[in-house]
Amino acid sequence: MMKKRYPVVCLLFVCLILGVNNSARASDSGWKTFVFPEVTGWRQSGEIQTFQPENLFDYIDGAADLYLSYDFQELKVAEYRNEKKASVIVEVYRHRTPTHAFGIYSQERLANANFIDVGTQGYIETNVLNFLVGPYYVKINSYNTGAEDQGILLTFAKKVSENLGEKGSLPSILSSFPEEGKKKTSEKFIAIKFLGYSFLHSAFTADYELSGTKFKLFVIEGRDHTECGNMIQRYLQQTGSREKNIIEGRYTIADPYHGEIEVEWRGKYIWGILNVNDPSLRLKYLKLFGEELKKK
Amino acid sequence: MFKKLVGRRDFMKSSLAGFGGFFFLPSNQEKQEVKFVEAKGKERKFVYRTLGKTGLKLPVINMGVMNTDNPNLVRAALEAGVVMLDTAQTYQRGQNEGMIGEVLKGRPRDSYVLATKAHPPTNQATGLYTEEATEEAYLRKIDTSLKNLGLDYVDIYHHHGVSKRESALFEPVLNALQKAKRDGKIRFTGITTHMNEPEVIHAAVDSKSYDVILTAYSFQQKHHAEVGAAIARAAQAGIGIVGMKAIRGGSRQGATGKDAAAALKWVLQNPNVHTIVPGYITFEEMNIALSVMEDLTLSDSEKKGLQKEASLPGLYCQGCRQCLGQCPEHLPIPDLMRAYMYTYGYRNLTHAQDLVLSLNLPKRVCEDCSECSVKCSSGFNISGKIRDVIRIREVPSEFIG
Repeated sequence: MMKKRYPVVCLLFVCLILGVNNSARASDSGWKTFVFPEVTGWRQSGEIQTFQPENLFDYIDGAADLYLSYDFQELKVAEYRNEKKASVIVEVYRHRTPTHAFGIYSQERLANANFIDVGTQGYIETNVLNFLVGPYYVKINSYNTGAEDQGILLTFAKKVSENLGEKGSLPSILSSFPEEGKKKTSEKFIAIKFLGYSFLHSAFTADYELSGTKFKLFVIEGRDHTECGNMIQRYLQQTGSREKNIIEGRYTIADPYHGEIEVEWRGKYIWGILNVNDPSLRLKYLKLFGEELKKK
Repeated sequence: MFKKLVGRRDFMKSSLAGFGGFFFLPSNQEKQEVKFVEAKGKERKFVYRTLGKTGLKLPVINMGVMNTDNPNLVRAALEAGVVMLDTAQTYQRGQNEGMIGEVLKGRPRDSYVLATKAHPPTNQATGLYTEEATEEAYLRKIDTSLKNLGLDYVDIYHHHGVSKRESALFEPVLNALQKAKRDGKIRFTGITTHMNEPEVIHAAVDSKSYDVILTAYSFQQKHHAEVGAAIARAAQAGIGIVGMKAIRGGSRQGATGKDAAAALKWVLQNPNVHTIVPGYITFEEMNIALSVMEDLTLSDSEKKGLQKEASLPGLYCQGCRQCLGQCPEHLPIPDLMRAYMYTYGYRNLTHAQDLVLSLNLPKRVCEDCSECSVKCSSGFNISGKIRDVIRIREVPSEFIG
């Protein structure tokens, strides 16, 4: 009797604590086995430091808030030194999902960065190499590395990336953004409160420029049709619209802070365009975007 | 024959005796001005205080921009009457400064006050600055901020994230700030701290090098009386005081608008705090923050709410390690409290179980003591929490994920 009840008790314990789900699990397996690599000519200096959400402030000050909004889970930091008194600091930030890691990476990525083939995506500057791999955002800083700087950073990056497991890929929804006029590597993931509204959760965005007109496209992926409908309804209410019959389709929202926003809702997707006055251009991009999203 | 100065120790003693034991300060509104500002057809009450010897008259609520990349939120704040924007070079690797620069384009230079900051390269293990932390390197950081912002000068440039006295007095940074000031690249020098704040604030006063201090200050700080005393000394020395972390992560802990407003008011009840820079990320949060100026007085219900929250032992171990050595079984109490936090705070059972299993605990834990001898500085029921969380040892891992 006890044996039969045991799994049920365990399950209850877990469910009570976890509530709905624990999507962090997928990202934990690689982390458990992760070790900072050994690099020829370098030795690790001091202990590996670990930071959790509650003390991330101790390490990155006020920047921590943004990392926390991207479901930051844990940070491990290792410092390496060589005989020439050069040093390299490797920081591995683990986020709840690869999308959240992409989000914080995209917040710090410069569109005109010098991109390199490491992890899912990465870039290099003098004394800095940052890259994304799965749910990890890796930041490597070097000091006193002189002319060999780039080679050193790349060596570290490749070894760290290998130890973190599969390189993964960028969020698949990014491929739905229309190509025409899109600024290269301008895509971002906003984790919470998109456009400054608590009722709009996360969104993917990309910047565009066409014939001198700069604008932005975005897509919100809801849980389902109902959630998207609720978001549209709240947005219309917020902006004073008297629209009552909320059905799938196109809406022009007179936003007091962002100006006119054209959005379209189908199923679990809401996509839209910001900063464009020309109705034909709005229509063109909403249509292009919708066609790509339909393929998903 | 000579003017007797009040020393740091004497000042701390007198200040702490004055209000150290009190959670609420008497309201003092003599040094503030009130103006009504109209934005988008809506009139709003604004309360202004002077930022110490800088002479800058600022609303008591401004904006910390660190958490948003939304230029229209920054525009809305400025149009509503906010004057000071606070950012840092590290926020989004300079892109936060860049975004603000775009918003500020075309605005009269005297219509806003821009504060930004940078820290020198730091050895994270020791917390001390590295050999690369030179005056020239810091001057280059100031130039980078100006470039990002597209400005000829910034109003306040802060020495960022200081947690030690020796860092606050670090000459290469002090020299760089003074040189930038002489060269017209910055108007006022500043320092920021959100760890070990009293020590840093006293050092900043002693240095006579800083015009402004940006400090964490919150009703939830266990040492808020010490921070308040240090702030009082700094304000008396003419240093402008800007408060931050007033809500201390309230947004992610589900603070309601009412809670957030009360937390902001708590900071502003101290007349030595001249302004605060809450990091709102929605228009609604902005409106809540600005509405605080309608009436800075804490209502009885707000006071009760704050007192209740401050007195609740939180979920988070403060990591003071005072418990170590108190347990006769030498249990790793801080680690177990962390496991408890993973379980109930972050709901990450994998992490909690991994941690508990890694501690190699004895089979019987907290079962042989009739009474727990450990006195937690945060008031945690240590044995209760330990007994609770070690149950996770028995849960098969396949149930967890």
